[in-house]
Amino acid sequence: MAILEVDSLRKTYGGFTAVEGSTFAVERGEVFGVVGPNGAGKTTTLKMLAGLVEPTDGTAVVAGHTPGDPEMARRLGFLPEESPLYEEMTASGYLEFFADLYDVPRDVARDRIDRTLDRLELEHRDRRLGNVSKGMKRKVAIARALVNDPDVLIFDEPASGLDPLTTNYIIEFTRELSEEGKTVIFSAHNLFHVESVCDRIVIMNDGRIVARGAVDEIRDAHGGTEYHVFATVDAGGGVREPAVGADADATDSIRRFRHAVDDMAGVESVRETVEREGGRIVDIQTETPTLEEIFLEVAGGSDGSQATRRESIDGSAATADGEGGPTDGTQASSDDEDAAEAET
Amino acid sequence: MTDGRDDASRDPADDGGRLRGVLERTARIARWEVSRSAGTVDRKTVLVVVAILLTVGVVGFAVADDGIGLEDDLYVIAVDEENPYYEVADESESFRPIPLDDLELSDGNEANADVALRENRIAHYGDHGEAAYAAFRDAIDAYNEQRMSEEDDQTAAYPVVVDLEYVDRDLEEVGGTDGQTDDAGGDDPADSSDDLGSGSDSGADDSSGDGDDSDDGATDGDGTAGDDSSADDGQLAVPDVGSGGSLEESSGPPGSISPPFPFQSLLLAFLFVVPMNFVIQAYGSTIMDERVKRRGELLLVSPASSSEIVAGKTLPYLCGLAAVVVAISLAVGGGWLSVLAAVPIAALFLATTFVGAMLARSYKELTFVTVTISVFLTAYTFIPAVFTDVTPIALISPLSLIVMDLQGESVGLAEYLFSTGPFYGSAAVCFLLGLGVYREEDMFAQKSLPAKAIDAVASRVGGYRSVPLLSALFIPLVFAAQLLVVAVLFAVPEAIALPAIFVLAAAVEELAKSVHVYAGFARSRLEATLGVAVVCGVLSGVGFFVGEKVTHLAQFVGLPELTVGVAAFGPALSNDPLGFLVVFFTPMVLHVVTAVIAAVGASRGPTAYAIGFLTATLVHAAYNLGVILLVA
Repeated sequence: MAILEVDSLRKTYGGFTAVEGSTFAVERGEVFGVVGPNGAGKTTTLKMLAGLVEPTDGTAVVAGHTPGDPEMARRLGFLPEESPLYEEMTASGYLEFFADLYDVPRDVARDRIDRTLDRLELEHRDRRLGNVSKGMKRKVAIARALVNDPDVLIFDEPASGLDPLTTNYIIEFTRELSEEGKTVIFSAHNLFHVESVCDRIVIMNDGRIVARGAVDEIRDAHGGTEYHVFATVDAGGGVREPAVGADADATDSIRRFRHAVDDMAGVESVRETVEREGGRIVDIQTETPTLEEIFLEVAGGSDGSQATRRESIDGSAATADGEGGPTDGTQASSDDEDAAEAET
Repeated sequence: MTDGRDDASRDPADDGGRLRGVLERTARIARWEVSRSAGTVDRKTVLVVVAILLTVGVVGFAVADDGIGLEDDLYVIAVDEENPYYEVADESESFRPIPLDDLELSDGNEANADVALRENRIAHYGDHGEAAYAAFRDAIDAYNEQRMSEEDDQTAAYPVVVDLEYVDRDLEEVGGTDGQTDDAGGDDPADSSDDLGSGSDSGADDSSGDGDDSDDGATDGDGTAGDDSSADDGQLAVPDVGSGGSLEESSGPPGSISPPFPFQSLLLAFLFVVPMNFVIQAYGSTIMDERVKRRGELLLVSPASSSEIVAGKTLPYLCGLAAVVVAISLAVGGGWLSVLAAVPIAALFLATTFVGAMLARSYKELTFVTVTISVFLTAYTFIPAVFTDVTPIALISPLSLIVMDLQGESVGLAEYLFSTGPFYGSAAVCFLLGLGVYREEDMFAQKSLPAKAIDAVASRVGGYRSVPLLSALFIPLVFAAQLLVVAVLFAVPEAIALPAIFVLAAAVEELAKSVHVYAGFARSRLEATLGVAVVCGVLSGVGFFVGEKVTHLAQFVGLPELTVGVAAFGPALSNDPLGFLVVFFTPMVLHVVTAVIAAVGASRGPTAYAIGFLTATLVHAAYNLGVILLVA
């Protein structure tokens, strides 16, 4: 049964459409990924689910309640892209404050906070938050999202700007939460993280969902697995290209030719041809497109469209989306960071 | 795990209803706001602040008790102890007496004393000698006055008694109807009796034992102008602000008589406003912190509503100010009236700061906003209070109520409401507007101040019903602005003041009737068509008309009896049915017409709105002038 249902969700800022007709459902205990380039509408979508942004049109139901309903707020944990903590408070004090705000009895809150901080291996609990590292702050922010023991968690870029160790820890922690039955809506630029933790994803571009489903389903729908059949045909002391047509695999020290086919039938066909010509199959490799490649394919040509979109975004829309920022410099920096992550 | 959560968490709705839940969450946020704010100050800072406050307190008390002491032992006087003037020099703080034998004269006119007294002859030396001589003359006068005031037989000490009666000016005569302004002077005993009410036996006459003339224009101090000016024309009374503490019995030479000016009470009343200027800095910062650092996002996603968050964050500062006000009131001898008058000022300080902090884009802008609020509100409250004993206009400031309280004067409920109503109302409207943009989409957006102000207003526009409601809600702000215009232009010659008031008062009203309609169109909350504009204009005009009638509260304190009051608020209600209809209902037609003009402009964009607004203002001002010429 879906714990979160989104139907035709739409958000416009003046003449700019940030999200256009998003529809999806998330099952209980699922880790659901929302991916897309900057300005795709991911953060706006997540904020509409959290009740922070009022949809222009459409509906969302989270744990049986509509966003903005206090009861829904009690059953939701929200981790924004940044960790805006009260830096003059200690970690314990900060978490106790939010537990109090969520009507969690004090004894329950203390126990829950201790357990969560233990799990997150958070030290320096009585040190002011302004004096702890960025990774620690992020862990405190995650602990805050859990302080009300929510059914649904919305993690917007949970590992943004963190070192690999902390990032892996958070990804692993997210997986554990899912195993405990929590539903997690997960947004990240790093598609490796999304692929490694999410059961299903939606890919957004220009405010629309352009692909959806399990990662494998999307992979199949956008190329799937490709079989590379490597063959060599003896030609009197040398090798020659098989008649089936193939690319020379120049990278190999042994001269051989590579045939790319989509399925096992294709592999079989190549094998028969090669053997008929007196050659032999020396290797068969499978190549699966990464989510990143699919993403680039789906969002293909998005550079131009994004540029056009950004020109049309006014200040409020960019800021409300959470992915713009006050200056072009911030935007460029963000893009650079994404590019670096993609290269990694 | 979910089940465990459900068991463990308590639901306020089940515990004691929604209101209880709201109050609990508000109290929690308030408690944590205090705790969080305390975390921003370390112990050393607390100690330093406490030390400074104690020092200021001790010094202030010493100054209040003994004066600043700048003139202590300023001059040296050579005088023998046997000389009758020695005591004068000894008691005066400005003089340090030395024995006459110690006087050492040097070259020219220099000496080791500024003045020297030998029997009844006095001489002065050096550059300060002349000033010392004058100061010694003053010291002699003060000494004599003190001695006389200590006499058991005051009649012997002051054989001549003069009773002073401060009266309100007859404004019609000042306005030039007959040019006679000297009734209070008592030239015509009959007129004098009319103007001063039950003018009765003169204290002077009594004391002199003459007793045969009761028509000299003086009174025994009970009758005031306000008493009878109301009785004359059936209008409600001008508040009794001309009498009271400033007319308390005092003795002295005629030179010591001065017009009523509540200097001491005014200074003490000012103390109430001083801490507000500091508290709003901290309050503005805490609101700004939520926005600039996006910390408010996490509160917004919690079960607490925007209003609970704002109430929780505001409550500690309001309560803190209330506590300070109570403490000041106790320290300066004020009563509950002082506290009740100061609290709405504090509320408006906080409310305007809240709006400013919600609109400012940076701490730099916030500083500009808070300084503006400090200067504006301090001036708004303090300047009218200067005239507490002079004119009812002073009552536009609750600080005047504090001055009156400190002077031991009584204040009626109508006067209290007149004085504090606009403050309470304006504070409520400001909080309402600020709350409108206390949401994710507006809090973190980088927009210009005017654009965010329009957002704030537009946030409250939702369909036709909101249009007249907002027009009515803006009335306190309109009232406060118009009172300010009256106060500012009060001292300006009427030839300049009246046209300015006509236009400014009209502009303020037209703005209140149209700004939300414009905001609705600008933010697509209203469909920008001619039909919608006309409907909104009509609704806005009617809503404002209803709200405006509240301003007739002004009559309870007699403001329309002043010419400038008439210019701002229109003439007082007439007993004549036709006049009543004209004065009461024609404004509705006016408001509807001008609101429609502005609304049609607003539906066509900012430039058209500016043109529509100006046109509406001019029509309104022309109407005001016409009505006053016809009716008044």
